[in-house]
Amino acid sequence: MTLAGAIIDAHALLQLVYTALLAGVGICVVYAVAVVGIARAQECKRANRPRAALLYGVLATASLAACALAIVGGIAIMATK
Amino acid sequence: MHSDALLTLVVITALAFDFTNGFHDTANVVATSISTRAIRPRVAVTIAAALNFVGAFISLKVAATIATGIVAAGAVTLPIVFAGLIGAAAWNIATWYVGLPSSSSHALIGGVIGAMLAAKGAGEVHFDGLLGKVVVPALLAPLVAFVVAAIAIVLTYRLTAGLRPGPASRGFRMGQLFSGAMLSLAHGTNDAQKTMGVITLALVANGAIPASHVTVPTWVVITAASAIALGTYVGGWRIIRTLGMRIIKMDSAQGFTAQTAGAAVVLAASHMGYPLSTTHVMAGGVVGAGAGKRLSAVRWGLAGNIAVAWILTLPAAAAVGAATYAVSIGISGGALGPFVIAAAVIIAGLLATLIRRAHKLTAQPAQAAR
Repeated sequence: MTLAGAIIDAHALLQLVYTALLAGVGICVVYAVAVVGIARAQECKRANRPRAALLYGVLATASLAACALAIVGGIAIMATK
Repeated sequence: MHSDALLTLVVITALAFDFTNGFHDTANVVATSISTRAIRPRVAVTIAAALNFVGAFISLKVAATIATGIVAAGAVTLPIVFAGLIGAAAWNIATWYVGLPSSSSHALIGGVIGAMLAAKGAGEVHFDGLLGKVVVPALLAPLVAFVVAAIAIVLTYRLTAGLRPGPASRGFRMGQLFSGAMLSLAHGTNDAQKTMGVITLALVANGAIPASHVTVPTWVVITAASAIALGTYVGGWRIIRTLGMRIIKMDSAQGFTAQTAGAAVVLAASHMGYPLSTTHVMAGGVVGAGAGKRLSAVRWGLAGNIAVAWILTLPAAAAVGAATYAVSIGISGGALGPFVIAAAVIIAGLLATLIRRAHKLTAQPAQAAR
């Protein structure tokens, strides 16, 4: 093992990179889907398309629930480990 | 008796530093929410203060890193901890005065290392810990925040491309309530722990905690959490109001992605026990969210200043910490040194306040006469 390898915990740093990447990008994308779902649901409701409005509403609710689960799960992991 | 008085002085100084940390750094945490008008300043500060308090209870890994990973806990003395705190506070005040963005965290670590170098030499500093747990993560984290925010904003713009601006903007402003809250939580988790680590070091030096089995007492967690939360509530909103007007113009989607990227990086780093600078991570997130839209949207000069401040912080705080230790030991062999320095700092602070007030009073009639 090299000196740099002994000093720098590459595994932990790599874990930091992919955890932040997955959590950060993942939550932003899922939340963007929720924003799209809410906006489209309102548009469909105004256009008198109830089935499409319902589908977009379900998509928005599922996305928001996924965001909430990710946040709560992340804090729970931090608090318990 | 003398040792207990000195421990009390060190704990008070550490909590005062924690208070200024909340006062100073929280602006970085909620300024993006303010600038996009997602939330009013006073509400933002109140939520940030509460979540800074809660965040301090989530993890103790960073505190353990500060207490055992940077310097040899067994070699620490109370004057070393005191000198380190003065070095950090001096650097913080100097950079705040000239408007240079800097990291309270790196100032604290630099101050303690400088004092230890002056007191015991290089042998008692864990340079491997400093490099592996502070320097490398500190270099990496803003870059990660930059990449996360840049990727996230590109994908977010693509997903919401067909939407009218109104609903999209409202949606992301709502999201900023949560991303800002997460960032405040992350700030409390990472930053309050640094003070906990320093107070724990002082307790080890005083013999209240054995160096072989270092744990953070509950009262330390509660007082550190309270100090950072109080600092956030008392002073933060004034700084935020200024920052909210001066910060780069960004839309609510950029604010949301920058805050989420920052929160993800700081929380992940806290979990690994890396003491990061929230200031630098947030700067990385903001620059990433700006660059993801278009490169010219970023004030690269400002980003350069932040990088220069980062490079200077550790050695500058270390130099002040070392000098403070030398002066402290020079006064009656160290017995009274910290008390004399603390008195001098208080007198200097009072004088500065009086001079500032006098300047304001003389400036007001001059303005009225024009």
